[in-house]
Parts: sequence; C-alpha cells; structure tokens
Amino acid sequence: MKINKYLLTGIGALALGALTASAATRTWTDAQGRKVEAAFIKLDGETIYIQTADGSVHPLPLSRFSAEDQEAAKTMAPADNANILAQVPTNATAAQAAGKIDQLVAMGLQKGNVKLAEAWRKQVAEDAKKGVKTPTPTALKPNPPCTDEQFIRRVYLDIVGRIPNYTETSVFIKSASSTKRAELIDKLLASDGYVNHMYDYFADMLRITEGTNQVRTLNYAQWLKQQVVANRPYNEIVFEMLTAEGKVWNNGAAGYLLRDSGMPLDNLANTLTVFLGTDVACAQCHDHPFSDWTQMQFYQMASFFGATTTRLNGKDFAGGDPEKKLTEELTYMMEKQGKDVKEARIQVQNAVRNVFTANRMSIKDRDQNGMKLPADYKYKDASPNDPVAPKLISWSPKDKENPAYKDAEAELGTSSTSKSTSKKTAAKAATSAAATASAAAKNEGLRNTFAKWATHPQNPRFAMTIANRMWQRAFGLGLTQSVKSIDNPDESYNPELLKHLSSEMVRLKFNLKEFMRVVYNTKAYQSEATTEALAMGEPYYFQGPVLRRLSAEQAWDSYMTLVLGDKVDSIKNTEADLYGRSVDLDLEKATPQTLISKVTALQTLGQKQAAKMGGSLAMANKDDAKKKGTGAAMEKMEDEDMMIVKVGNMKLMRASELEQPTQGGHFLREFGQSDRTVIDGASKSGSVPQVLMMMNGDAQKLLTDKESLIHRTLKLAKSPEDKTEIVFLSILSRKPTLREKDLAKKELQAHGEEGYSNMIWALINTREFTFMQ
Amino acid sequence: MSNPFLKWDTASRREFMLRTAKTTLGVSVLSHLDKAMGAAEPAPAGKGGKAKAVIYLYMGGGMTHIDTWDPKTGETKGAKEPISTNGNMQLGGYMTNMAKVADKITVVRSMSSKTGVHEAGNYLMHTGYEPRGTIVHPGLGSWAHHFLGKVQKTLPSSVVIGSNNASSGFFPPAYAPVPIGNPDAGLQNIKTTVGEDSFNKRLSLMNEFDTAFRDKFKSADVKAYNEFYDETLKLLKSEDLKAFDLAQEPAETKALYGNSGFGKGCLLARRLVQNGVRFVEVGMGGWDMHNNIDTAMSTTGATMDMVFAALISDLKRTGLLDSTLVVMGSEFGRTPTVNENGGRDHYPKVYSTVFAGGGVKGGYVYGSSDKDGREVADKQVSVQDYIATIGAAMGLPVDKVVFSPSGRPFTVGDKGSVVADIFA
Repeated sequence: MKINKYLLTGIGALALGALTASAATRTWTDAQGRKVEAAFIKLDGETIYIQTADGSVHPLPLSRFSAEDQEAAKTMAPADNANILAQVPTNATAAQAAGKIDQLVAMGLQKGNVKLAEAWRKQVAEDAKKGVKTPTPTALKPNPPCTDEQFIRRVYLDIVGRIPNYTETSVFIKSASSTKRAELIDKLLASDGYVNHMYDYFADMLRITEGTNQVRTLNYAQWLKQQVVANRPYNEIVFEMLTAEGKVWNNGAAGYLLRDSGMPLDNLANTLTVFLGTDVACAQCHDHPFSDWTQMQFYQMASFFGATTTRLNGKDFAGGDPEKKLTEELTYMMEKQGKDVKEARIQVQNAVRNVFTANRMSIKDRDQNGMKLPADYKYKDASPNDPVAPKLISWSPKDKENPAYKDAEAELGTSSTSKSTSKKTAAKAATSAAATASAAAKNEGLRNTFAKWATHPQNPRFAMTIANRMWQRAFGLGLTQSVKSIDNPDESYNPELLKHLSSEMVRLKFNLKEFMRVVYNTKAYQSEATTEALAMGEPYYFQGPVLRRLSAEQAWDSYMTLVLGDKVDSIKNTEADLYGRSVDLDLEKATPQTLISKVTALQTLGQKQAAKMGGSLAMANKDDAKKKGTGAAMEKMEDEDMMIVKVGNMKLMRASELEQPTQGGHFLREFGQSDRTVIDGASKSGSVPQVLMMMNGDAQKLLTDKESLIHRTLKLAKSPEDKTEIVFLSILSRKPTLREKDLAKKELQAHGEEGYSNMIWALINTREFTFMQ
Repeated sequence: MSNPFLKWDTASRREFMLRTAKTTLGVSVLSHLDKAMGAAEPAPAGKGGKAKAVIYLYMGGGMTHIDTWDPKTGETKGAKEPISTNGNMQLGGYMTNMAKVADKITVVRSMSSKTGVHEAGNYLMHTGYEPRGTIVHPGLGSWAHHFLGKVQKTLPSSVVIGSNNASSGFFPPAYAPVPIGNPDAGLQNIKTTVGEDSFNKRLSLMNEFDTAFRDKFKSADVKAYNEFYDETLKLLKSEDLKAFDLAQEPAETKALYGNSGFGKGCLLARRLVQNGVRFVEVGMGGWDMHNNIDTAMSTTGATMDMVFAALISDLKRTGLLDSTLVVMGSEFGRTPTVNENGGRDHYPKVYSTVFAGGGVKGGYVYGSSDKDGREVADKQVSVQDYIATIGAAMGLPVDKVVFSPSGRPFTVGDKGSVVADIFA
C-alpha cells in the first residue's frame, strides 16, 4: 500500500524508538479518497493517532478522514500501550523529539486547512445567493526551509542574543558538514552568550530592577545569572524564589519577594500570571468579571504568604528594634568628639537609617498568619476583615486527583481552616501550647506548601506556562494569544502541541536548555519566517517563525558585537559583590563601631566603581592600542581584567551587565527595553526618537569609528569587493547581491574610504537589520 | 555642519522626501486608515471643547489624596494640618504653592476605581479601559490624533515626557506619542555627524540596500518603521525643532520651574503646547509611599506643589491657560489609615484628580469623600467619566463608537459620562 504523502504531511523518515505496530492494521481513507494503511492507536478529542508500518505514530485531525473512518475511530478501543506510543521516549535525542513536534505542527496546519475549507464552503453558499463568485482560499502550508544565512543570524540572535560576527558567519556558511546546524545550536547553547540572553528574557519577565525602596538588590540579578550558568532546572529556580529567606545579598533568590516589598498582593497576582499563566489580577479587588475567579479565592491564595514579612521590625528582634538605641549611642559618641549636637544628630540619623533600611529588607516567616479580607469585602460568603485560611485554586474538577494537590492538602491538614489570627481562635489556641506550636510551625511552612504545589511537575499550568513561553521565544508567538493568560488550553492555536510541549518540559525535567535544543532542531523553527501580515486575533499555525523586530537587548548587543566582537560575551559586571559586602550588617549584633564601618564602606563604594571605568574604543580593542602605543588611553587601566570601557555615557558591555533597567534615554530604553514595572513590559514598536538614535546616536557613531571591530576587520581585506562582502556579512550576516555589489562599487568610487562608513550606516539603518527573519 | 535639514528647502530635497514617502507607503497607508476609521465630529454642545491642548501630569505610584487635594482633620489626618487657599477650598499642608493658585483649579474629590494594582491602574487612567490580553487601547493623545489629525505638520501631535505611556493602542503607530526621556536633552540625536551630501547619500543607500527586504515582508510592523523614518526626516528639516530646546527659555522662567526632572518636563510641555503639540504627558514617579509618607511628601510632594503651581502661573502669564487644560491624575489614592511603617498603602476606592485651565472652573471642588477620606460621599466619578471629561474638554466626540482593526467597538472613556459641571 502506497502511503499518501498529502494525507500524512509531516511524516519524516523518523521512527520514534523501536516501536512496532501492535494492533491490526486498517486502511484509512481521507475525505478526498486517498488511502493509507495504519494501526489505530487512540482517539483524543478531534485528534486521531495512527501508527504506520515503520513504527512511527502520527497524530492527525479526525476531520480529514472519510465519514466511515470517523465513525470507526469513535468505536475502536485504544491500543493497550496507546499513551506510551503517543509520547516521546524518555531518552529520545533532540532530533527525535523535534520530529515529534514537527508532526504536531503539521497536524495543526491540516486542521487549519479544514477550518479554512469549512469557512470557504459557508461563504460560497452565502455568495451564491448574491450571485457573487467566492475566491478560492490559499491553503496553509509550511514555509520553505530557511537558508544558512537566515539560519545563522536567527539562531545567534535567539540563543546568544546578538548577531554573529564576520568570522562566525563566514566559517559557518563555508562549512559543508551536514550536521553543522545541530552542532552550532549545541555550541551556542553552551556559550557565555546564552547566559546573557536567557537572563535578559527572565529580567523582563520577572521585572528585575536595581533596587527597591532605595535598597539595591543587584544580587538578585547576579543569582539569576548563576542559575542560568549552572542550567538549574526551572522548577527548582522558581521554588527557591518563592521560598527564599533572608537578605538579598546573602540569598539572591530573596530578590523575588523583596522586589514587591510592601505589596504582597501585587506580588501574588504576578506570581500566578508569570508562573501559572493565570491572570487573576482583577480578583484582587472583586470577583473576576469573565473568568470564574472570585476575590475570596485570591485572598485564599494570598494567605499562603500571610505569615511572611519582607521588612523586619520590632517584632522580629529578640531585644526589640535596635535602631533607636544605636542612633543614641552613636550620637553620644559624636558629641563627645566635639561635634555640633544638632548637626551630629541629623548626620547620624541619616547614616544609620540608610544602613538599617537596607538590612531590614529581609524575608522572614513569622508564626502568625496576618492575611485578612479587605475592609470593603462585599460578598456573602464572609465579612470584611475576616481572617482567610490558605486554599489552592484549581482549573478543573479533575485537579483534585492531581498529585500536586494531594501533596499540598496533606501538608495543610484538615485543620488548615481554623488557623488564623482572629482573637477568638487565638484565645482558644492559647489553651493548648501544643496546638499553638503546631499552628506556628504550619504558618512558617505555608510558602513552602504553595511553592511545592506551584512548581509541581503535575501542576496543571506550571510546565505548560514555561513551555508556552519558551515556544514564544523561538517563534515570536505563543500557542495562546497571551503567554500570561493560558485560560483554556483547548482553545489554544494547537491544543495537542501545547499539551505535548508541557509533557516534554516534564520529560526533560525542566531543563530549559534541553527544551530549547529540541525546539531549535525542529523543521518548523528552521523554516523561513512568515512574510504575510498576521491578522490580530487570528490563529497562527507555525508555518515557521514570525518576523520579529530585534528586542532592545538584541539590538544593543549586536552593536556591541560590531564594536568589540565576540569577546563582549565575557565582560561581566561584578558590582553586586561590592555592594552586598559593603552594606551587610547583622542588626541584632550591631554596635556603633560596626555601623560606622558600614557607613564608610558605602561611601567609598562609589569611588571604587568609578575607578573601574574609563577609556576609549582604542583601549577596548587593546591589542591594537598597545601596538600603536596609545599610552594616554591606557592610563586609567588599573586592573585589566576588571576594566570596563566607557565611551561618553556608554559602558561597552552587554545589556545583561548594565543597569537594570538602564536609565531613560539610554539606547536600550529608546529601543524599547522594559522599565521593569510590568511583566514582559518590553516594547517592539518604533518611534521618532528611536529612529533619530539609529541615525545620529552615540552608539551609531561607535560603529563608524575607525577603531570599531568592523573597521579593523576591513583592514584585513585588500580588494574593495572583499571589503564590501565583510561589511555585509558583519552587519546582515549575508553576502551582498550582484546589484548591491554594484551599488557598493559606485559608492566607493565616489567617496573612497568614507564610502565604507556610509555603507555601514546605511545597513544598520535598514529594516533588514532591525528585524529578524 | 550641525543640522543640514534646516536648510532643506530646495526642489531636489522635496523631491527626495516625496520619493521616500512613496517608496515606504507611509503616506498612503495613513490616509487610507484615516478614512476607514471615521472622520472627526464636533463635541457635544455645552460640554467643554475649549481646550486646544492638554498637559497631563501623571503621578506614578498612587498619589495620596489626603495629604494633597482632600485634606482631613480627624484620625486619618497625617503629619500636616490642612491649609487655606485663595480658592474656595482647603488643601493638604504640603500644597503651599498650590494654595496661591487654587482659584484657578477644579479639584475632583470623588474619583473611584476598582483596581489597586499599579500597572492596571496606570493603564486605566490613560485609556479608560482595563488591560486585556487581546487588544491595546489608545491613550487620549492618540484618540485626539484620530479625531482631529495633527495640529501642525512636523511636530508630533502628542509627546510623553518621563513616562512610559507611548503606545498608540490599536491606532496606527504613527499616532503614538513621542517619548522624551530627559527634558534637558530634549529631542536627542538631531545633529548629524556628517555633512548634508553624505547624509543624503547614506539615506539613499539605506533605501537601495533595503528594497528586497521591504518587498518581501509586508507586515504592519515593517510599514510602521518605514513611516517612522519618514516622519523623522520631516522633523529634521523643520524649524519647529526648537520647541524641544529648553535652552531657549530665559533663566527666570527656568528658575520658576526649578531643577527637578518634573519641573523641566513641565517647562518643556509648555513650550511644546505653545508650538502646536496637542497632548503632552509629564510623568512624575515616587508616589508609592508605603513607608514614611511625611518624609516622602516633604520632598516628592513639595516638588510637585512647586512645579504644578509654576506651570499654572506660567500658562496664565503666556496667555495659554484658557486654551490649555492641565490635568493631574494618578492610578489610585492611598489608605486613609497610616500603616505601621508611617506610610500609606494603595487605595482605589476614593481619590482625587485636579483640573486647571482649558475652560474649567476655578476655585471649585466637585464631589466629596467622607469625613476620613475612606468612601465617596457625593457625586462619584469613575475613571471612565474622568477620561470622557478630558476628551470632551478637547472637543472629542466621546459618544462616537470607533472600531478597532479587529472589529471591536470602543469610545473615548469607555462610555463614561462627561462631568459637565466642572466646565465654566
């Protein structure tokens, strides 16, 4: 029996493991009468799984088959090993796992065509009444495979967050190896640049800032980078953030809760949105108007954090709040030294307050849960200001059977509802010391219970949300309209694919690097970008990635690559260490002397930072600078390894190493870097100031500077033709076309050396540079 | 050569500009969309329409109502006593400068919203809509651009200074406000590094090298970029660029506004309005006063008071106040009860906004909160009403339904009622 290619679009030569057909085979016929022989595996909603003779299992839309087959499928019993057959084997290679994804993408396209055809038939019937001829719709089909030139630019921007430099591009394009794409993916995933770019993604998602309430929380960013370096499983990273204790410089993960110190309800809303793809922010103030979430449910979830404080006060110190006592002692010391009393007091108070404010920013689980309903609570199930006991939300009635819930319920125990700070309950509890101790222990463990549930592999949304986010990173669109609100997975663009990606996330044990390796190896990812405009609200079937504007970080880091080359990936910011060491103080044990040492350390911190900066572009590319003996530029270099080059107001480092976020007016902000107030707050739209910056900005000037890497690379070539090729390969990662070569030749004849700067300027300002195909 | 474009008045320049516009479809795309989305209609009679321009002072973080515009004397009073003013109202003790121009303002003390989250509240106070995952709603500047077009050819119709609200919503990107990060720097990067000829050569090379890409990808995003390049080039050759330059102001005027970013932003706003920008937002942060609100008000609050009063006086002096509406808003108020850290927390249930100039009454208070500032006592104003009222002040047809490209219906202020009582 001939296997019909059209019916089984997407079936590669790939067999998923050594699986053989176990059930009797049957001849299946599609709506157009084409046939294929295969064994029935299972029917899952509108998707039928059949296994062909080569052992591979194909998910296909049921609607593609003849009415007779559809009826048959509904009555047939699933194969014994149906669920195993439909899954990817535990130890599948990236290529095998990618093949499975491609099958599901192909199936999604077919379903899309069925829908298109249905809509078309309806339209024909309507138009016939009016006597109008209906144009035939174009069938959806996968985009053609992308070229090596398109691939290398895309994969560098996606994985390491910058364009490839001239050498990287030319080596790859020249290579004749059949496995060079997979090898490049592996190389990039293992590189420093991967860390920079993955961090950029998380920083936008988690709204990472330099500080909160005048306290610098740089260690949070540093900690997150370390997790990415170690490729720590995502569920562990999130668990640690949700359960962290202490100060941010002793435990960077504490930055997650400290980021929203003083607004725990906002923090919770963000937690549910960012990690569980569930938008319940409305329920913070009233029952959700469109979903089922109630305000009570929101507060029940918030109650898991009701015993947690992010700011230490009198309650948290054995001997009461030490600030007042220390201030008095210090003032007394200064008075004895003959300082003017009033002035001394102000100075001391301010200095002490700064150190205290910083060291009070610490997460601690208290033994009492203070979560109460708001004063304006207006629903009948409780009264305003009532204490609220913790309770988990669920998305479907089936969730109760889910191990994630069973574990949590076991920890909460049946008495969880009686635990509260209400006076009555507290009075009763006081009669039994044991009960009090147990309630206290439970309160201290609430966050832990929540975090275990939230990051549990079987949580109905956790794996799905990060899988959807990672898919969006690669394709430019998620499988749902918004990655922040999955709502109903069955209404996503491709429900089978979304569910499969979630199970892949679990199979890969939340190893994001492995997950991305699979995605980057798919044919879908390695297809050309979709050229048509996408209609808002219409489903997308992942014919290939969509055309994306570079993120602010990708654009800046690409500029840096043109200036410094690939060494830009290894320049690191170490500021967090210095700040943490300077400010940390154990408030319980603080003495006037230790306090003074902290104040002094903070004051000298600024000078240390400034000493690490300076220089010029020549110095950044210092091998050459040495040869040319530009001694003046070298003067400021105290410690060559630690040195950060600053030209004008720009530190020549990757976005991930700069201020978080950079100040308004910086290249990154003008290009749309998030101000980090909102989840995924980055913008990809243009503006007049942004275009002005691309035309006349300081960063632009760096590129046309004779010391930038691109200019120095030009010196290596002799002929104008070769030089033109270098300019194109360096900026657009492709060779010039014949027409472009001709244009370049004329430009060089007319303007000589200046012509290269003009070409660089022109290419940087093309849409081709600003967008990624 | 600092700015060759100021001399761009020869025939060849114009030809070049025209050609660029045609190549990039910028012109035709815009006019097409304009038609599709409906033309302007007059504002409802007797409901404002006098504000040719709006300066929106946005206090990011949630401005405390009790310490500013709605002072209390009871248990929720805070650190300072209310003070008397030259208008028919009392203000918070920190508002010493505003007390001297209170005869020119209307305070709305009965604002009420349902969201206590910064982002959602900010979005609501700019668009009149709650944030959704499926659509981005436009702000007032973009609405005005849609109904009324641009005031003049080269300058943008709206500008945001020190704030992040620079989206055009579902309108074309060209309707988006132009963001200014630093008022001192004004519009940055307007000086080219090479001479006029070289710059032109560069532009022409850019268009030539980009032809294939632009032919292949016809997406809205790419077209939007083409439009932004066109607009930028138009602006570069315009004399109006000076509107962005604070250095043109005399020292005494600068001193009036002070040295804060907010002060400079407001001075820039006045210059822009004077030169034909219709909608300018100036953002000021620092209002999320969860801790030590007295200290925070003594700095942030005092700066706002000084600058706001300076702006009103300066608009009066320059004769712009009657045609310029100044509005101050924030995502919510702050809890009447002071918390254990000496601060106040988020409080959307009742809060205040302020209007000045542009045809509104002076020395007037609309609506009220109860004794301790906990509930609306009289004449509740929703955020939708508030946005519709600003729209009406500008003469926008707030009842007119406009359809987004995805076919969904929207109005200025989501069917809110115009608070006509505040108009003189």
